[in-house]
Amino acid sequence: MKGKKQKEFLIFAVFVFPAVAFVLFATNIPFVMNLYYSVFKWNGIGKSMEFVGLQNFISIFTNDAMFWKGVRFTLKFAVYFVVIVNIMALGVALALSKEKKSAGVGRAFYYIPYIISLTAISLIWKFILGPGFESLYQITGWEIFKWSWVGVPKLAFYVVVVMTVWQNLGFYMVNYIAGIMAVPKELMEAARIDGASRFQTFRKVTIPLIMPAISICTLTSLTFAFKLFDVIMVFTKGGPANSTVSVAYNIYKEAFTNHNYGMATAKSLIFVVFVLMVTVLQMKVTKSKEIEA
Amino acid sequence: MKKRWKKPNLLIIIVFAASLLWLIPLLLIFLNSFKPYNDMMQNFLALPKSWGLEMYLETWTKFDFPRLIGNTLFYTVVSVAGIVLLAPMAAYKLARTKNRLSSICFVLIILPMMVPFQSYMITLTRLVANVNLTGTKTGYIIVTIGLLMPLAVYMIHGFVKNIPIELEECARIDGATNLRLYFLIILPLLKPILTTVVVLDALAVWNDIITNQLIVGGNQAAMNIQNALYMQFSAQSADWEHALPGIIMSMIPSLVFFITMQKNIVGGVTAGAVKG
Repeated sequence: MKGKKQKEFLIFAVFVFPAVAFVLFATNIPFVMNLYYSVFKWNGIGKSMEFVGLQNFISIFTNDAMFWKGVRFTLKFAVYFVVIVNIMALGVALALSKEKKSAGVGRAFYYIPYIISLTAISLIWKFILGPGFESLYQITGWEIFKWSWVGVPKLAFYVVVVMTVWQNLGFYMVNYIAGIMAVPKELMEAARIDGASRFQTFRKVTIPLIMPAISICTLTSLTFAFKLFDVIMVFTKGGPANSTVSVAYNIYKEAFTNHNYGMATAKSLIFVVFVLMVTVLQMKVTKSKEIEA
Repeated sequence: MKKRWKKPNLLIIIVFAASLLWLIPLLLIFLNSFKPYNDMMQNFLALPKSWGLEMYLETWTKFDFPRLIGNTLFYTVVSVAGIVLLAPMAAYKLARTKNRLSSICFVLIILPMMVPFQSYMITLTRLVANVNLTGTKTGYIIVTIGLLMPLAVYMIHGFVKNIPIELEECARIDGATNLRLYFLIILPLLKPILTTVVVLDALAVWNDIITNQLIVGGNQAAMNIQNALYMQFSAQSADWEHALPGIIMSMIPSLVFFITMQKNIVGGVTAGAVKG
């Protein structure tokens, strides 16, 4: 009997442990390291580490204007991004959730920015906003092309919003289309036959039925916005004048530019709590949707 | 009634027009990639005077594209192969084993899906440095596989749960061993979900820049194409004559892949949407 148990364990180990090992190395262990480093003052390079207890956390809450500036930027970005991307994606999805070939082509067009790399996206927009706009200004003389789109804090904010919406719309569109396709067509037809107008059908039948998709997309986009990092790191680098430093980018800078390693890990932990609140809500909603379906 | 249905829907017209607008940035990059710098500056909306590939060829050799594409392809193939080998094995065994160890392993694999990568990327870089893998291809591949594993296992796990267990019991009675059972019976059944995983992960690895920057950094020999192009052209005054053909060439594999695998990509995205 014991031999059988041992054999079973061995088989389990062969199947599962390699995958666990990779995940532990790349995610779990680094995450636990956060807990350790967050109570030290350390520059990330030198040998000397000074134990400071909760001092890092305290100074984040009492004496870190940059971090809170990042929080404000991230929240403002989240509001813009969530509202714009969801309304646009839902609109596009409603128009393109047909089995027709033309709808398929339209969907592909919206989706393409989502499958190209951040390098390409960042260079594309850099080119358009730089030499592209410059040449347009020469031709048209319109002031709008002369504005320094990445040099003025207010404008740079909108550039970040436009870029992220442009890149991610396709993803949300696909999720909305999946939600819309799942609605039985008979229901809408029945409403139409009963004399409901197109708009009434949309408001009273379609919207309630795709509510799960709406809540999932809203929460997914909210977590995305809270985690905003890639575009900032690759495109604005937080500039101009630190106006586009998101929370995640502030952490990155704290570690690699300011060399406050302990501080950066403490911030990481606060950041996790910040994002987890939304994620947990999201999982609850997703679960309830599963039951419905 | 019939007439009203046929009325062209304003929303649909707008959406189709906007879908063309959506591609304009890409189209402009494509047009300008054939122009000398002066022509770009003169009118960046104009068609190029010639469609010659000189700048493409020059970029190809000057920036060592064979090596960059070779590296990126190597990363994509090895990482995806690692996922395809390990993720279904783990997912299958975890779905079929009901005990404490199995639950613990499952949680360890799934939990990272909820935790944002940005919260542990700094310590990850540290860990990679501690084991002397910074700047190496091995380090980059290990990290990539580890980062892609949770979602892959999660998706396959959900799929395995829907495979009737009777199938395995029959095979077991016929005397099939564990590994044979898995490779001959289970794995072929997982093909649909594995296709989705392969498509999503191949695109993720090909397009990755953040992980490559963190782990490989500035080590020329191990840079992938995204990282190298970024390092090369993100300076204040970029060398656009080479940058634009470079971008186009780096995008071609993703685009071709997208066009051929479109169905799987769209299906896979919705499957992965629950990810945190």
